[in-house]
Amino acid sequence: MSRNLHTTDADGFDYMANSGREEQDRDTCGLLLAVLLMAVLTACQYLGLY
Amino acid sequence: MSTSPSLTYDRTRTSCLSSLYGFGQVLPGLLAMLFIAVFANNLPGVPNPFTLENLLAWLDGVVGPVNHQPLFAILNSNFVWNPLALGLLVGNLCGVPDAWKRGLSTIHMLMPLGIIMLAPHFMVGHAFKLGAAPILLCAAAMLGAASLTLLAARLLRLDDRHAAIIAGGLSTGDPHACAILMPLIKAKGGQVVNAVGCVVAVGLAAMLALPLLGGWLGLPDQYLGLAAVLGVGNGAQALSAAFAHSYEAGRYAGWFDVGRHVLMPAGFLYVFVVMFVRKLRRRDDPAVLATRGIDRFPVWLGVFVFCWVLACLHLFKEPAHHAIFNLVKWDFSLAAGALGLSLSWRDIAAPGLKGLAVAALAGAIRLAALLAVIALCVKTGLLPN
Repeated sequence: MSRNLHTTDADGFDYMANSGREEQDRDTCGLLLAVLLMAVLTACQYLGLY
Repeated sequence: MSTSPSLTYDRTRTSCLSSLYGFGQVLPGLLAMLFIAVFANNLPGVPNPFTLENLLAWLDGVVGPVNHQPLFAILNSNFVWNPLALGLLVGNLCGVPDAWKRGLSTIHMLMPLGIIMLAPHFMVGHAFKLGAAPILLCAAAMLGAASLTLLAARLLRLDDRHAAIIAGGLSTGDPHACAILMPLIKAKGGQVVNAVGCVVAVGLAAMLALPLLGGWLGLPDQYLGLAAVLGVGNGAQALSAAFAHSYEAGRYAGWFDVGRHVLMPAGFLYVFVVMFVRKLRRRDDPAVLATRGIDRFPVWLGVFVFCWVLACLHLFKEPAHHAIFNLVKWDFSLAAGALGLSLSWRDIAAPGLKGLAVAALAGAIRLAALLAVIALCVKTGLLPN
């Protein structure tokens, strides 16, 4: 099968492929960053920093 | 014998941070996403005047408003679809170098990140001023439209992933929901862009039909505004349809739009839950593709719901809410650029016109049913005139 030149590199890495444990880990990283950013911005407001 | 990337990842994984590649590996891709985002939108903190958003705003000024709405907003230009269009152009005209691809994979982290940070945007309390009957109508129209679209898709044997994306966009009246549902439904990028095209096209048809039908039924301006919000495509299309009827109807559409907007998460959550339960019930059915690969309710979606509840309790007050939404604009602009780069024109055309037929059928029935219900409610006094 020919590789999708938009998404897959010469080593076979497909950047739009997202499954299994790697997907869960990416979700976890996104979740942690989202919670961190929202907590910092909300805390800044409650502490009167802006 | 070759080893699958998934097995290789599992073997080398040490923590969730293993999913982040080295800085040198991701830098070219991140820079590509950054440049696409910065030249697509007027992003907070970036004083770049040469953006697609400004170009379209200038063209809007040349063309003039269509019933008080900018033409390109009616055609769905916004902070998600501008970078997607730019990424699509870059990817198809210049190609996507291999060096970018590790960095572009951060789209999978950016999607849950952006969706969770959207939660403070939907404060249900803002809709209470509308009264009980319009809020109930908003909720019923949203869930009804989603169910109707999924039924129409079953009737026309449309790929269930494509159907779910159209259902999300059509029911919430916000084609952003198509992108939000992409990681939840496990839809292909081409299906998402095709679905947005279907939702926008059906919205344009409804935008032209509603003022005529509303006038023929003799709906009061107030409730023609409500019908526009619940029965016509995106926000600008809804407002344009209402203003085409009368200035008062347009003003009322702006008033009622809050009800649709704050309930939007319920629309895409409903579509996800329906498709997820269906997948659980029919695990062995090869025709069931939506949510395939998602074995349990995603934790990050649970966090989104939790944050939405906190937003409804007014935990995120105005300055923090705006700062968080500015980050959402950054996040979705970067992710949409990566999505645009991943697609060829053929990917978008591949799902064909069946999606358009489903959206048109569901959109027409929704508009007819909505007008009938609103006319009935006005006649019986459930909606006071």
